[in-house]
Amino acid sequence: MSYKIPMGPYHPGLEEPYKLDMICDGETVTDAKLHIGFNFRGIEHLAETRNYVQVIALMERVCGICSFIHTLTLCQAMEKLTGAEAPPRAKYIRVVMAELERLHSHVLWAGIAAKLMGFKTMFMTCFELREKVMDVLQAISGNRVNYSMNRVGGVNRDIADPTALVGMVDELEREMVKKVIPIFTTSATALSRCAGIGVLTHEKALSCAAVGPVARASGVNQDLRRDAPYAAYEEMEFEVPVQPDGDVKARLLVRALEILESCKILRQALTRMPPGELVCGDGKFNFLKVAMKTAISRVEAPRGEVFYSVSWRDGSRTPARVHVRTPTYANMPAVRYMVMGARLADTPLIQASIDPCYSCTDR
Amino acid sequence: MSAVEITAEMLASSEPYQEESGVYWFISDELNVRELAKAMNAVQARFVTITTYQLPKEEGFRLEYHWDLGGRLLGFAFNLSGNSIESGKIESIYDLCEAVDWIEREVHEEYGIEFTGREYEPLLLRPGDTPGVNKREEVAK
Repeated sequence: MSYKIPMGPYHPGLEEPYKLDMICDGETVTDAKLHIGFNFRGIEHLAETRNYVQVIALMERVCGICSFIHTLTLCQAMEKLTGAEAPPRAKYIRVVMAELERLHSHVLWAGIAAKLMGFKTMFMTCFELREKVMDVLQAISGNRVNYSMNRVGGVNRDIADPTALVGMVDELEREMVKKVIPIFTTSATALSRCAGIGVLTHEKALSCAAVGPVARASGVNQDLRRDAPYAAYEEMEFEVPVQPDGDVKARLLVRALEILESCKILRQALTRMPPGELVCGDGKFNFLKVAMKTAISRVEAPRGEVFYSVSWRDGSRTPARVHVRTPTYANMPAVRYMVMGARLADTPLIQASIDPCYSCTDR
Repeated sequence: MSAVEITAEMLASSEPYQEESGVYWFISDELNVRELAKAMNAVQARFVTITTYQLPKEEGFRLEYHWDLGGRLLGFAFNLSGNSIESGKIESIYDLCEAVDWIEREVHEEYGIEFTGREYEPLLLRPGDTPGVNKREEVAK
């Protein structure tokens, strides 16, 4: 006999509120339905009431983890509307901040995944590493969550001595190679909870248009940093990790390997950072004189592609429209296919394996 | 022939794409959204999103569909005339591209636009509200 089990919107297995209604046959999930909207804040509508300075501060609050990425995507779109281009040093600083945010996000996710596996020691190890990354973000920006680094045409703060940060990158990489990756890939506890669990096939990843590590863990070789480079990514050398299996273990591995690639990018950006200005011109800009102009920007956030479409009417202080498509919005519908056929006890870990962010999704 | 050229040929246009600020816009008044979805499926383009604008002075709506083709962002615009709830209609492509499910539902909820040929689940973002309440000024009044 089949029965329905609701998980959420408020549940110990969920980090943020959303609802997964699961149809079960015994302990096996046969189908699921997702409900979002519990964090709806109307941010797109609010953006239409904010001027070109305030809107940056507002969009920084779409997500508590990818706050830099959201302002970067917005500012890149606004730079297309104003004709302003960030100077080379600002582009390098944007790469450093974006990769530090990726490290912070992936290590945080690894910790939460470990907690959901019942592997509390690993949770503590990951959060200790994350703390080190957050200390660096704080040292650069003065903030630990909303960094206020981006502005139209550049960045607000410099990195005084970029090479001094290379030591932190080396240490983080050492810890990942020595502790985190071997434990996640060889420990019986981790493998028994991850291998063959929550499979998203390559075909389903394509038809659901999954993005980021979720898509790459199902064999979809895509990454905007390589395919449509922005900031200074064109000058960086790195690999895009892809795994074919599509299970929780593959998602874990992709993120672990991405941490190593981020370290590689950070080392290049920090050692090659060119001298120069942080903002183009004298920091002043004008919107292009057209009746209505729309610009689109895309960035590879830790969870996948972030898309911003920004429209501005001539002479207006506020945007006519800001549309945000976040990676969880693209990835979440695929969770239905991941949990079908899974054991009920595995569903908290399976939904967490896409690294969901409902604050972003609901906006 | 590149994948972008193939899509242009499938959509039957001689001067298909105009590159503007990194987006390849397909300019055609004859464009059919379902033919478009089939062409995108044929070249394995990845659906990105639909951005909707309410145009000023009762001019209706503009829907911009986006697909990614190997890192190139493709854009296709559709104008829907009239601002009444009944006039905002366009064919759904949900049966051709399952990735549009949530965004078609969101656009329906925000602007009251009807994607014909599909059934809607309960409201995605604002359970209990009326479709169009978030953006449609006339409904909000």
